[in-house]
Amino acid sequence: MEDVNQNQVDQIIDYVVREVIRRPGVSIAADSPLVSSGLIDSLALVNILQKLEDVTHMRIPAGKVQPKDMDTVALMFGTAKRVGKPRR
Amino acid sequence: MALNMLGMLAVVLFLWAVAWNLPGVRARQGLLLFACYFFYVNWGLGFLSILIASSLLNFAIGSLLRRRPTAGPLWLGVAVNVLLLGFFKYLPPLLHDRASYILMPVGMSFWTFQGLSYLFDIYRDEDIDPSLLEFSLYMAFWPTVFSGPVCRMPEMLPQFREKPSFSATNISAGALLMIQGLFMKFVLAQLLAPGVTAGFDQLKSGWGGADVWLLGIAFGFLLFFDFAGYSLMVIGVARLFGIQVAQNFDRPFLSTTPSKFWTRWHMSLSFWIRDYLFVPLAAARRNAWWPYATFVFSMTLFGLWHAAKWTFILWGLYHGLLLVGHRLGQQAKRRLQITAPPYLGVFLSGAATFLLVSLGWVFFRANELTKALSMLSAVVSPGAYLRFALPRDFYVLTIAIGLTYFVFSATRSLLVSWRTRYTEALSCGAPSAVGPRPKDLTLTTGGVIDFFAVRLWWWFAPAVAILTAFAGLAIYKQSAVITVTPFIYTLF
Repeated sequence: MEDVNQNQVDQIIDYVVREVIRRPGVSIAADSPLVSSGLIDSLALVNILQKLEDVTHMRIPAGKVQPKDMDTVALMFGTAKRVGKPRR
Repeated sequence: MALNMLGMLAVVLFLWAVAWNLPGVRARQGLLLFACYFFYVNWGLGFLSILIASSLLNFAIGSLLRRRPTAGPLWLGVAVNVLLLGFFKYLPPLLHDRASYILMPVGMSFWTFQGLSYLFDIYRDEDIDPSLLEFSLYMAFWPTVFSGPVCRMPEMLPQFREKPSFSATNISAGALLMIQGLFMKFVLAQLLAPGVTAGFDQLKSGWGGADVWLLGIAFGFLLFFDFAGYSLMVIGVARLFGIQVAQNFDRPFLSTTPSKFWTRWHMSLSFWIRDYLFVPLAAARRNAWWPYATFVFSMTLFGLWHAAKWTFILWGLYHGLLLVGHRLGQQAKRRLQITAPPYLGVFLSGAATFLLVSLGWVFFRANELTKALSMLSAVVSPGAYLRFALPRDFYVLTIAIGLTYFVFSATRSLLVSWRTRYTEALSCGAPSAVGPRPKDLTLTTGGVIDFFAVRLWWWFAPAVAILTAFAGLAIYKQSAVITVTPFIYTLF
């Protein structure tokens, strides 16, 4: 996580809490399990993947991404770094 | 096709005894593969040849894909698998009598999907490098080769390479799973099977509205006890060898939404559909309606996976629409700011999910589309609720089994949460929680549960074995001749 922009991480955390989980009093950290804990479902996964593309300004080929690669916000940025390509 | 249980058990014991003492990994894997093929060949040498051919093709395409992880080799692999499955599974029903000589190899729907997931995983740069021997073992792994659960290479490969440890934990856990599975299949499913068969197959018309609901509910439980029971048995058998296979069912009828239902029912296949079909496809476009269309498409394919019949296609389509309806309902609820007391909301949502899922089983089980539509027309005809075609005993039996399931599952969930509380308190070293006079009753109960849970083998297995024997005897006394219905998912 050292070379990840903290502002980008905060944007994704904020998006997940406000737009996906939507439960009062629920907060998450960068290493909170989301898929494996059942907090997010398959549609939310797709929405988060697209948000991740917007935040990182990258094109992330969904065919290269597994739900387990998106289990935490930290893993999401690792995945974006691994398979993402700069947007044209 | 009936499962040769005794033969299966004999192979298990033989393998267990011999493979256990082999020192080399390759020798052990080789013997396991030999046993897998030896077991599978019981269903025909031709079937085994197709399984071996599929393994070789997938391994070769996988090797190509590893050198060039691009879309080309991946599509080639998808095409080869789909064509093979299509030829054996979907062509004969389309050609009717002209293709009656084409027989689908047992379990092909399951091991084809394992082959496909291997190719997708390589394309996704998963760190997997199986030898041909290991890949063939993965495809033919005998506990799961007939009806799943659909395994994944990243989970299986490290286990194939490890020397299995002879542990009481594995043996007791495996045996317990097998006993639970046997109880579900040979007691609970057997109790429901005659009534369901009579209701769906012997009645040609004249179902009342309540009859159709009851048949949907009864078949849902029958399928659950049959397939979840089967899954527990094979997971248990694998566990005896020290190999952990992921669970396939997780209290599905306690799901509070259709979306949650699909994370708890036939999980190995529904997660396959999610990971390799839905997510890549849904993320490909940014239109608001696109993910919904993908839901419907994915679930329709899920239905088609079972067989090339309109009833299965409509069952899948129905579930796709349920998933879409649930999401749209959630959006409308948020927009209109509709709120309900938390427990009431959860209860109503859970009840609606259960009833809608149950209604869907009518498509799944009805042998013909006209019959399914005739049954469903009774559901929407108010006058049909005055008519009852099913015997009273079947109503009592289904309701009793259903209520027992809910009470058992809810109680189990509660006790598990208490045990978790207790173990968490223990790990934090809270003296009041673990001392001789705990203040909290739930912690005390959690402690008692934990005591018996870690000593499960002492009491649970004998209790279930005795219960199974008594129940079997009761069924035998009732029907004089026990007709054990085949495992439903071996048909797919």
